[in-house]
Parts: sequence; C-alpha cells; structure tokens
Amino acid sequence: MELLFRLIQAMSVFLVIAYLYCKSPWFKPLTTDSLRARDKIYLYFFFSAVSIMGTYLGIPIQDAIANTRAIGPVLAGIIGGPILGTAVGFTGGLHRYSLGGFTAFSCGLSTTVEGTIGGLVHLYLRRTNRTDLVFNPKVAFITTFFAEMVQVAIILLVCRPYEDALAVVKVIAMPMILSSSVGTALFVSIGHDQKNVYERVAAISSAKAFKIAGRTLNFLGRGINQETAVDLARIIHEETGVGAVAITDREKVMAFIGHGSDHHQPGGPIVSPLTKTAIAENKVIFADGERERYICPLSNVCPLNSVLVVPLHIDNDVIGTIKLYEPRNKQFLNMNKTLGEGITNLLSNQLLLSRYERQKNLLIQTELKLLQAQINPHFLFNSLNTIISITRNNAARARELLTHLSNFFRKNLKRGNDLSTLEEELDEVNSYLQIEKARFDDRLVIQMDIDPPLLKLRVPTFTLQPLIENAIKHGISNMLEQGTAKIHAYRDDSLAFIEIEDNAGSFRENSTGDGLGIKIVDRRIKSLFGNEYGTTIPCVPNKMTRLTIKIPLEVHKL
Amino acid sequence: MMRALIVDDEIHAREELEALLVETGDFIISGKCANALEAIQAIKKEKPDVLFLDVQMPVINGFELLSMIDEKLMPNVFFVTAYDEYALKAFEENTLDYLLKPVEKSSLAKTVWKLKRMLNGGEKPVYAGADIKKIPCVLFSKIKLINVFEVEYVRSNEAGVYVICQGGEFFTDLTLKVLEDRTDLIRCHKQFLVNIDRIDEIIFRENMLAEIKTKSGHRVPVSRRHLKILRERLNFRERKT
Repeated sequence: MELLFRLIQAMSVFLVIAYLYCKSPWFKPLTTDSLRARDKIYLYFFFSAVSIMGTYLGIPIQDAIANTRAIGPVLAGIIGGPILGTAVGFTGGLHRYSLGGFTAFSCGLSTTVEGTIGGLVHLYLRRTNRTDLVFNPKVAFITTFFAEMVQVAIILLVCRPYEDALAVVKVIAMPMILSSSVGTALFVSIGHDQKNVYERVAAISSAKAFKIAGRTLNFLGRGINQETAVDLARIIHEETGVGAVAITDREKVMAFIGHGSDHHQPGGPIVSPLTKTAIAENKVIFADGERERYICPLSNVCPLNSVLVVPLHIDNDVIGTIKLYEPRNKQFLNMNKTLGEGITNLLSNQLLLSRYERQKNLLIQTELKLLQAQINPHFLFNSLNTIISITRNNAARARELLTHLSNFFRKNLKRGNDLSTLEEELDEVNSYLQIEKARFDDRLVIQMDIDPPLLKLRVPTFTLQPLIENAIKHGISNMLEQGTAKIHAYRDDSLAFIEIEDNAGSFRENSTGDGLGIKIVDRRIKSLFGNEYGTTIPCVPNKMTRLTIKIPLEVHKL
Repeated sequence: MMRALIVDDEIHAREELEALLVETGDFIISGKCANALEAIQAIKKEKPDVLFLDVQMPVINGFELLSMIDEKLMPNVFFVTAYDEYALKAFEENTLDYLLKPVEKSSLAKTVWKLKRMLNGGEKPVYAGADIKKIPCVLFSKIKLINVFEVEYVRSNEAGVYVICQGGEFFTDLTLKVLEDRTDLIRCHKQFLVNIDRIDEIIFRENMLAEIKTKSGHRVPVSRRHLKILRERLNFRERKT
C-alpha cells in the first residue's frame, strides 16, 4: 500500500510536468492532426526524459525498481506513432538496463515493447479514422494498463531465477500498473483540456473574423474612402472590443473610433513614428505596451498605451494602415493581434479584387471605344464614293443617303449610356444598312422581323451594329451570289432573342479581326446580365451563319 | 485613246470611275466587270491597255486577279481602293500604281500622264505575281475554287483549259501558261500540266514517249521534249527525299 502511495507521489511530479508542458508552445503542434519531423524530435526528447525520470522516481525493491517509466513510451506511441513510441521506449529501456539489477534486461526490453504497443494503438486509431481518440484518457488508461500487463509477463518470462521474479512481481505489479495507467490517463486529460482551450479560442477568433469580413466586404467594393473608412473602423471597433481603431491612408488619418478620439482627429496628418515605419517598410508593427509602449505624440493625457499597426496594401503598394489600440489599463490580447492582422490581409485582398474588377470594366469600356472608333475608313470612303456617283443622276437619293450617313455617325459619337433600347439600335442599323444597300445594290437583301414589344427592350449600347457590319463585311460582301441578311427579334418565356443571319456561312472561330466585335458584345452582355446570356454562333460553311444574342426580358441591373 | 477596263464589285464605283475616265477624253471604256472572273474573260477578249482594279472583291481579290492574267495580255494596272492599310503597304512595297476612292480629278490627271508615258515607251508591263493557291473554275453559273494540291492534271484544247481533279473536270479561264508559271503544276506535254504529287507511275513507250498514270487512274501523255525535264524533276525530288 505504501508503495502505491509512493508511486502516486512520483506520478504527481509528472502531472506537474505535463501541466507545464501543455502550457508551453511545444505542445501546440500536438493539437493539429499531422506532426512535422521537427515536432517528433521534440516529442522524442520530452518523453524520453519523462521515461528516464520515471525510473529515477521509482522505488528500489529487492534489486528491482517499482516505477512509472511506462508513461513516457506509451504516450509517445499513442501521440506520435510506433516509431516514436519504440524509440522512446528503447531510450528509456536502455537507460534502465544501464542501471543493472536482475530485472535490468527484462525491464529494458519491456519498456521498448510498451512504446511499440502505444504506437500500434496510434496506428489503429488512424486506420479507423478515430484520431480524435488520441487525447482520450480512457484510451490512454486501457493502453497503459495492457502495456504494463505485458511488462509483467515479460519480466516473468525472461527473468531468472523465476522465483525471485515472481516475488518482485507480486509486490510491484498492482501499484505499478495502476499508477502508470492513471498517470497516463491524467497526463492525456490535461493535454485534452489544453487542446480544447486552443480550439475554443480559435473558434471565437474565426467567428469574429468571419463576422467582420461579412460586414466589411459588402461596401469595400467601392474602395477605401473617407466614408467607408469610418464604417470600417466602427465595425472593427465593435467586433474586436479594442480600445480604439484608426484607419489611415499614406498621409493622414481617415477615421478614428474609440478612446482618445477627442485629440485623434480624422483628417490630421500621420504623426506616429510607428505608423510611418509600418508604411515605409510595409510591415506589421506591434507595441505591446510593456516592452515597447505607444506614446501618443498628440497629447500626454492620451489613455492609449499599446498599438498594432498593420499596413493595408494592394499588390505590394502600401495604401494605408489599420491601427488597433488598447488603453493603459488593458492588455493587448494576442487574439486581437492575430485578428487585426488577419482582417487587414483580408481587406487588402478585397481591395485588390475590387481594383481588378474596376480595371476589367475599364478594359471593356476601352474596347468599346475601340469598337466605335473602328467605324472603318474603308466603309466611309466607299460610302462617299457611292454617294458621289449617285449625285450625278439622282440628287434626291444622294441627299437621302447623306442624311443616313450623318445619322449613323451621330449615333456612333453620342454614346454615353450603357444601355439603349432595341429601337435606338435599329435606327442606327437602319442608316448603316441603307448605305450598304446602296453600295452593294441587288447583291444585298435585308429582311427584318422584329416583335414590336421588343423595341423597348434594353440591350447594351452598340450591340447590333458591329454584328450586322460583321455579317456584311466578312460575309455577304465576299459573295458572288446574292446575299441575304436577316434580323429577327423574338421572345421566348422570360428571354429575348435577337438573331442576325446571313447566307454566306463564312464565320470562322478565331479568324483574326472580325471576331473581336462579337467577343466584346458577348462579354458586355455577360457582364451586364450574367454568364448564362450572350452570343452563340452556329455556322454552316457556305450556307449560313446565324449569330444569336440571348438576353433576359427583365432588366434588373440598370 | 487608251482602252480601259474597270473592275470593281460596286456598281456605283464602276459608274463613277467610268464617268471620270470619259471626262478626261483620253479613254475608251472597253468594259466594266463586277468580279475577277468577268475580268479574266474580258481581258482575254478585249485586250485593254489599262486595267483599273479594285482590291477588295468577292472570292478573288485584286492582287489575286493580277497573278491570274497571262503575261502576253498583261495591261498596265492601276489599283483603286477606298482605304486599306494592307493594300497601301503592298502598293508601296511593290511599286504598284494606285488611286484612292473617291477619285480626285487631279490624281487622275497624273495617272493619265503616267500612262501615256508608259504606253509610248512601249515596254511590256511586268508584275511580280504571287503564287496561285486556288484555281477559279466555272461550274454552270457558279464559281468553284479548286485547291492546286487537289488537281490531278490540267489539259487544254481549242475549247479551253480544263482542270481535272477527283471531283471531275472543270473549265477555267486561266491559261496553261499562267498555271505553269504560278503554280507547282509542271508541263509534261504541250497541252498538259500534271501535279507531280499525284503521279502514280510513268509508263515508257517507244520513241522517247511516255504516259503518266495519276493516282486516280487518269492517263496523261508525256511528250518527248518534256520527258527529259520531267525525269530531272523526279530524280531531283528523289534525291532530295
């Protein structure tokens, strides 16, 4: 009985060690599912030390040692797998062997085996996808219990003389088995609690981070300006609960919420050297309030004492900072530090994304300008040539055509809006077609079939003309026979379809030049209405090309 | 007076140019054509002194047409274009003459002056023609373009020139000489061209004559004069491969 108490005493020492270990940073890797090689090496040294200490804290009995050496190898095995377990067991066992005594060899051997047993349990849990049970006290207890039984069996089998071995076992077996098993279970239980703490903290900060992200992402599409900066600072202040939050651009404070807002005025220049460094060097600056203090350059009664300055950047350009402060009487929580950095990075990415979006829109705009500028000189000079010729014997007709030509050009120049009605589009197209008809004479036949209500349909400005020009320029004008261009607009359910068909059948995917106009039209429709809309172009070579535009009848985006 | 042929696919462009040319008093209009095929026929028939040639035309453009004209009949050529960056570049590079639509009287006057000088000089105009890749053939009222590599052989008789390929036999307005000069087809007989890639075997006969069997089984005669050349070509090719 006394032996059991002595062993429990020894075990208590381990529990203190276990407690300290779990609070140390070396424990943190154990809370993840996969261990890196470096972590395993730390574990090896730690548990080997635990095992050797188990031997030293043991009680010598009849030339043997009653001990809790098994705790180290079994735990190493359960946590780190068979190799680690065996290695720790072997180390502990070798040490025990070096101390001598008639059980030296058997104890050395059995300690190694115990490590392996722990490792096998680890393997089993992993194979059956029950790795959550690694930190389960029950599993640890049963494993150690079984491992210690094996140890006893090995001692009885290997130790000679058998009578002496039996005598020793009779005294030490029960206390050793019990204390080691309980010790392992408690060790694991401490680890389990610490792991839970980590996870809870992680869960709280992720929840906060998601909440902030959710609240900020909506309006950040507009970029950071005076207005959004204030909103952003307020949200971060509310969610993190820090003393104060400031947002700066590269030169001045854009927003300040919280303690000290009486003298930290938005609009003022950046005076804090910490912020200047953060901007200049694009790095996170943290003054924890103890080793390094935040000293307010504006007021000597400022309550703020610690600060985190995180640069906001787009690509690698710093565009400003987000600052989190705590007053003198409050510690700057590590969680808030992580949160502050995380949110700023998230916002940086968001800003990059919105800049990309803006650039994409800009590109489409530019392409549109290009498309308009494409009113090609070839068309212009040929039209003029045609009209000049017609002047000779039909002045009225020539006048008419000139009116169409000027209408066409005016429509092209006056294109401020994104959307036009189909009617407006057709008006421009009509002028264009009148001139082409004059040029190509009976080689060009136009057929129009427009469902009247669709005249009010809104389409991206400058949709129809490039497509029809395409059909004529790259299709019909290359035909020796008569060419027919059909424009057909109809409804189907909640969809509107506009078809432009020619009988040249000369459309080629990826052909240079002529595809550009169609691509731009397609992209503009998609960016306005969504990816399920746009153009399709079935083409039967030398028979027909039919370009179909699909757009929704209900225009929600205006 | 100079006889001019106008080739442009737009009717008003033809009429306008005709009016302008007539106004100068130096031209007789020998014809107006709406496409390259009409032009090839008209050139053969009318033998004009000068050709006013549009660049952008259906199926066969102005440049391609130029390479299809028989050297013996080659008139002086003035390209006429509204605006075409590539064409302008080509004109400059190949020192071709051109006019811009709408045609101004002053530039037309220069053209007249230049033309008269060229015609008085009596030099035959020579234009570096590009290779012909597709041979325009007439099929009823339609035009069929036959890829040169598809051609088995070409034969000519009093009725005209015929291109034979797997799809059949097609009449073309191009001359044997043009096809010999501007394609890879080689002469094997006074009246025959053959596609060397479509030769299956050559059967030698007496008197230094031979006969070619093409891959589709057509038989093409080889004359004594051309057999030697043909042999050289084939040997040369064999060594090369």
